[in-house]
Amino acid sequence: MTDKNATELQQGELPLTLPLFMEQMQARFGSSCDLIYRRLRLGAYQAVILYIEGLSDPRYLIEAIHDDNFLYENMEGGNPAACLQLLFERTIALGKVEFIHRYEKLEAELLCGNAILYIEGASYALFVGAASLKQRAVQEATSQSVVRGPREGFTESLQENTALVRRRIHNTKLRNEHKTLGEQTNTCISVMYMEGIVDEKVLAELRRRLDTLNLESVLESNYIEEMIQDKRYSPFPTVYNTERPDVVASALLEGRIAILVEGTPFVLIVPALFAQFFQSSEDYYQRGDFASLVRLLRYVCFLVSLLTPSFYIAITTFHQEMIPTNLLVSLIGQREGIPFPAFIEAMIMEVTFEILREAGIRLPKSIGQSVSIVGTLVIGQAAVEAGLVSAAMVIVVSITAISNFALPSFNIGISVRMLRFLIMGVAASFGLYGIIIAMIMIAMHLCSLQSLGVPYMTSMAPMKWQSQKDTFLRLSRRTVKKYFSRG
Amino acid sequence: MLMRRWTFPFIIISLVMLPGCWSRKELNELAIVMALGVDLHEKGFMVSAQVMNSGSIGTQKENTFGSLPVVTYKATGATVPDALQRMLSSAPRVMYLSHIRVLVLGEDLARKGISDVLDFAARNHQLRDDFFLLVAKDSTAEEILEIITPFEHIPASSIYSSIMVANKKWAATGRVTLKKFITELERGGSNPILSGVQMRGNVQTGTTVKNIQSTAPKTLLHHAGIAVFKRDRLVGWLNESSSKAVNYLLNDVDSTVGNIPCPGAEGSIGYTIYGANSKYGVKLNGAGKPEFSVQMKIEANISAVQCTIDLSKASNMEEIGHALEDKFNTNLPKHVKEVQKQYGADIFGFGEELHRKYPEVWKKYRENWDETFKTSPVSVNTEVHMRRVGSVVQPLERQMEEK
Repeated sequence: MTDKNATELQQGELPLTLPLFMEQMQARFGSSCDLIYRRLRLGAYQAVILYIEGLSDPRYLIEAIHDDNFLYENMEGGNPAACLQLLFERTIALGKVEFIHRYEKLEAELLCGNAILYIEGASYALFVGAASLKQRAVQEATSQSVVRGPREGFTESLQENTALVRRRIHNTKLRNEHKTLGEQTNTCISVMYMEGIVDEKVLAELRRRLDTLNLESVLESNYIEEMIQDKRYSPFPTVYNTERPDVVASALLEGRIAILVEGTPFVLIVPALFAQFFQSSEDYYQRGDFASLVRLLRYVCFLVSLLTPSFYIAITTFHQEMIPTNLLVSLIGQREGIPFPAFIEAMIMEVTFEILREAGIRLPKSIGQSVSIVGTLVIGQAAVEAGLVSAAMVIVVSITAISNFALPSFNIGISVRMLRFLIMGVAASFGLYGIIIAMIMIAMHLCSLQSLGVPYMTSMAPMKWQSQKDTFLRLSRRTVKKYFSRG
Repeated sequence: MLMRRWTFPFIIISLVMLPGCWSRKELNELAIVMALGVDLHEKGFMVSAQVMNSGSIGTQKENTFGSLPVVTYKATGATVPDALQRMLSSAPRVMYLSHIRVLVLGEDLARKGISDVLDFAARNHQLRDDFFLLVAKDSTAEEILEIITPFEHIPASSIYSSIMVANKKWAATGRVTLKKFITELERGGSNPILSGVQMRGNVQTGTTVKNIQSTAPKTLLHHAGIAVFKRDRLVGWLNESSSKAVNYLLNDVDSTVGNIPCPGAEGSIGYTIYGANSKYGVKLNGAGKPEFSVQMKIEANISAVQCTIDLSKASNMEEIGHALEDKFNTNLPKHVKEVQKQYGADIFGFGEELHRKYPEVWKKYRENWDETFKTSPVSVNTEVHMRRVGSVVQPLERQMEEK
């Protein structure tokens, strides 16, 4: 309020006359028609309010300063700093108000949807939080739905998302760090973690990686995910993403770090472990014994989805002695007259299924799902009747595809899809021996993978009794308390 | 550095291109052999193979040709593999032997000696060692393999299942796999046995589908008791009760049926054995010669009562049990004596028992064990427990008389 304070702040680089200021702004923003300049008089001073239409709504700001007679009575003129100070302290009764001295901050705040108040004669300005963005309401998370449990999903607004997480953890230890990434897009991201539970080394590593990111644009969290994951050309995901706030909250409580990105409802969680991709939040909302069985089923589905076509190819091409005789009789009967070898048959059916699946994504929601699975069965049936593939092959491909859908996380599903083709090729060349070698190599690869310095197979290999409470089985909390001591 | 990175994919690609899918056999290039038959021939062996005819098994299309599910190919050769390869001059596909269910040996060949055939069977890497061996009684193996059987599409499967069932539930046939035969052949102190198969009816009516198109097939295959071997030569056949006795002693009875005369009344009682256990014991008598004893434990149920005995009394049940014990105690040694006298082949494994218990004594006898076996006494002690009587207690004859 005193002149001393006012002079201290007078370090801004904004021009001191209104026309110069307007010129500067025109030069920086071009003649974008959605940048609005609202000229006003405040007592003796010329002022302008700048805002971007659509992003902000400065109604309250204008009302606040428009009707204030007290303000005009106390204005002497010639001291714009004092006027700004008065506005800052007394008049503008809105939430976020700050002084701006630099152009970058001015631009950044304008683009975030805030309004700028510039008074002629002052080399700095005020920005007022007036963002009013139209955004999608909080809806059900479509990519990960549960039978029992909360149905809220993140939206595209960073503020909304951080709020959703905050609502679940009422704890001062929940920290929220803000960063801006992407040279062209300047996207806001938020890094959230629980102080005291999180591993400081991992956090430091993550901060280092985010700071050394050299991205042009960040439109979705995948842009960041690709750049921060450990540098291995691995088909397995090392960063987990989710659309549900409860998943993020529980991950934070386990000591993980969440990265929220403006403009996408998919939040990244690091570090991600292999066991995590088989956990679904529903495991914790249903009974322990049921959840354990379902979880074991998921591991089985992983293996089924990866290996079934390869086993079929390997055994019918190289190891016919392993097939029980009655089954062999039936298989041979089916394969009579089929022109292609087993491997080509399998490839045709698998590729057809992938085509249908990809096409099914773009079909209208009402028929999309049914087309992808039922469509394959129908096409498969027609192919069987035409004598192009054998009936057993259709069954193998269907089981494989359906098991793929049973995996709770989409990214592990795509890893499996890619690896499946590789293993099919190996099976066609080297038989069961080849499959075993391929699985050994995959296992070796998984064990050497790291997610931000944390070994990928942490709770599975080395197998420790202490870690089994949530890997293959989901033990109930009572069991955990009784038999597993908390470290 | 560049070389390092590309070495691995290069190796993978060259592995796929160069050896490629070596030793690949597509399913429709195989002729699956379901049963093999070997007979004696002047040139050596006559081999017949029962091959599955995949076109007619197919579920894809209707069986438009009306062809049979199996085809038999025959060829002769000085050795068995010789004959098998010669078959390729008439067969459209390579023979695949891994799924053989049964190997049938002609009786003539069995009498001459089957060790040559068995050498091929053990040596061939495709053949497993768990398929059954059979001796064709009074016919050649070729004829046995040509018979079409009801129930199963493939006659070999039918023979296979019938061996399992007959051995398990009737116990008058053996169930000898290649592994078992070779083990018994090679160990000292025992001689192997084989199961026999016989054709009832004649071979001409049995080789067409007409055979199974009537409710009473004209030609059927039936299991004909146990064949006694001395080393690898067939020396004789055992009838039904002798075969059962052999199976009891060899501890190979799962369940079987028999009858005894009713104690204290006229008529007979049928019993079902559902558990039998035999244990050998050997003692040396005063002259240092071995004497064998067999301890049998039998559990039986009553299955048919054809007299008027009062089954509500526990003492009657015990009497039945004692009667059964006596039956075993007299019949089993009788059958053993028959085998001893007629064939002089120790098919029961008593020599083995002597070898285990008294190895030094065995060393004296091992050279001519069969001679010594001819005069070794064998005694049987049975313990029978009669357990259940079925759904009704008193026999109908008794009920009738009382009213």
